[in-house]
Amino acid sequence: MSRLFVQLGAEGFLLGVLETLYMTVISTAVAYLIGLPVGVLLCITDKDGLRPMPWLNRVVGFLVNILRSIPFIILIVALIPVARAVVGTSIGNGAMIFMLTVAAAPYVARMVESSLKEVDRGVVEAARSMGAGTFAIICKVYLPEAKPSLIAGAVISTVTVLGYSAMAGTIAGGGLGAIAVTQARPSGAEDVIWLCVVLIVIIVQVIQELGAFLARKTDRRLRAGAKRASKAKKISK
Amino acid sequence: MIELKHITKEYSSQEGTTLALDDVSLTVRDGEIFGIIGLSGAGKSTLVRCINLLERPTHGQVFIDGEELTAIGRKRLLFLRRNIGMIFQSFNLLEQRTAEGNIRFPLEIAGVKRRAAEARARELLELVGLSEKAKSYPSQLSGGQKQRIAIARALATRPKYLLCDEATSALDPATTDSILQLLRRINRDLGVTIVVITHEMRVVERVCDRVAVLDNSRVAEEGEVSEVFSFPQSAIAKQLILPELIRSAEGIGGKKLRLVFRGETADRPIISKLAIECGVTVDILYADTKRIDGKAFGHMVISLPEGGEEKVRQFLEGQNVAFKEEV
Repeated sequence: MSRLFVQLGAEGFLLGVLETLYMTVISTAVAYLIGLPVGVLLCITDKDGLRPMPWLNRVVGFLVNILRSIPFIILIVALIPVARAVVGTSIGNGAMIFMLTVAAAPYVARMVESSLKEVDRGVVEAARSMGAGTFAIICKVYLPEAKPSLIAGAVISTVTVLGYSAMAGTIAGGGLGAIAVTQARPSGAEDVIWLCVVLIVIIVQVIQELGAFLARKTDRRLRAGAKRASKAKKISK
Repeated sequence: MIELKHITKEYSSQEGTTLALDDVSLTVRDGEIFGIIGLSGAGKSTLVRCINLLERPTHGQVFIDGEELTAIGRKRLLFLRRNIGMIFQSFNLLEQRTAEGNIRFPLEIAGVKRRAAEARARELLELVGLSEKAKSYPSQLSGGQKQRIAIARALATRPKYLLCDEATSALDPATTDSILQLLRRINRDLGVTIVVITHEMRVVERVCDRVAVLDNSRVAEEGEVSEVFSFPQSAIAKQLILPELIRSAEGIGGKKLRLVFRGETADRPIISKLAIECGVTVDILYADTKRIDGKAFGHMVISLPEGGEEKVRQFLEGQNVAFKEEV
C-alpha cells in the first residue's frame, strides 16, 4: 500500500467521491436549467417545428455546435480567464462547476432537442386541433410525452459530466480526478489511481441503474407490454 | 355551417410548387354528416385541415358559422378550435396519460376546473362505452378502444363540429362498423355536424348524408350520397363507386342497363318478373346487392335483348326501378 493511500484514508477517498458527486450534480442541474429551454427552442423553431423560425434556429444551432466541437480539455484552458471574470477565481469547485456547465449545456440542449423530436407529430397536431397554444403544447405534450427519453438523456448527460469533472479536476478543482492525476500520478501511487477508477465506475453504475429504473417507471408505453410479458411467462410456467 | 370558398393550397419545395388543393368550394350544413372521398393524394387530408386551419390555405376563405377563420387573430382562432373536434387515423392519444387523462386534456387547455373536467370525462367515457377503461393507458387499449377514447376527447369541449380524418382506416371491418355507429349516434343524439374524410366507400355509404368526390386537388362531384352512389357522373366517382361493375361491363357488346336498388324495390323478384311479363331473356352481367336494415341496396347490370328494349324500359319504369343505360 502506498504512502498516499494511507495518508488519504477512507476519509480522503470519501471526500473525493463527495466532491465529484457534488460537482457533477450541480453542473448537470445548471446545464439543464440552460440546456432544457435551449433544446425546446431548437425543437420548436425547426423548419418542421411548431413555430418555425429558421434564422433563430440556425444561429442558436450554430452556437451550440461551436461549443460542442471544442474538446473539453481545451475549453477549460480557454475558459480560465472567463471563469475568473464570472466566478472570481479560476480554481476550485466553483470555477469547475462554471466550466462544466458551459461544456454541458449545449450537449444537454441537443439531447433535449432529439428527445422532443421523437414525440409523435400526430399527437402535437391533435393538441393543436384542440386549440392548444405553443406554451401549452410544450408543457403538456412535448415534455410529458418525452419524459422517459428525457430521463434517459439526463443519465447520459450526467455520466458525461462526471467524466468531464474528472478531467477538470486535474486543472482546477478537486474530486476523484484530481486525486488520481495531481496527487497519485506524480508519486506513483498506482493503488490510489486504481481505487479512483473503481469508485468512478461504481458511481457511473449507480447513476445508470437509477436512471434506467426511473425511465422505466415513468414510461406508460412499456408498462402494458411488461405486464403482458409477465403474464405470458406465468402462463408458460 | 362550414363554408370553404375557393380554397387553394400550394406547397413549395426545392423541386417547385405542388398544388394540393385547386379552387375547392364546399358547404357543410348544420346537422349533417358530410363525406369527402378520393384516392390517396387527392388532397383530402389537406382539405380537412384547412377547415380548422391546421393548414393555412394559400388562397381562399374559410367560414365557420359566418365568421371568417382566415381573417381572425391567433387567439380567437385557438378559441374557436374548441368548437371543432378532430379525430385521426392513428388516434394520436397522449401515450403518457390514461384514457381519462386524455379526455381531460382539451378541458385543461380550455381552463376548465379539475373537478368539472373529471365529471365531464366520466360522462364521455360512458358515452363511448369505456367507463371501465378510465385508468388504462393507450398502450393497453385496442385500436377500436383508442378511437373511442379519441372521440370522447374530441367531444370534451362540446364542439358543434367533428372532423374525422380517415378515422376508421386503421381498423378492421367489425370495429369500423361499431365506430361508424357511434359517430351516427353522436350526430343524431348530440346534433354534432360531422365531416368524414375517407377512401373507403363503405364508410360514406353507411354514415354520410352528402358527399364530395375529390380528384386531383379538385371537387369532381358533390351531392346526396344516395344520388352520387346510384348515378355517379364523373369518371373518378364511377371508378371509386363502381369499380367491379365497370370492369364487368367492359368488352361485352350490346346494350346494357344498370339497375339501381335503393331500398324501395327490395324483396321483389324483379328479374324473373321481367322475364315473364316481357317475354324476354336477360343476362345478368354483374350484381352487387346488400341488405341494410332489411332493405336491399345495390346495382345490377343486365344486357338487353335485341328488340325487347322498349318493353323492358316500360316494365322497369312501371316497377319503379331506377336504371341507367351503360356503354
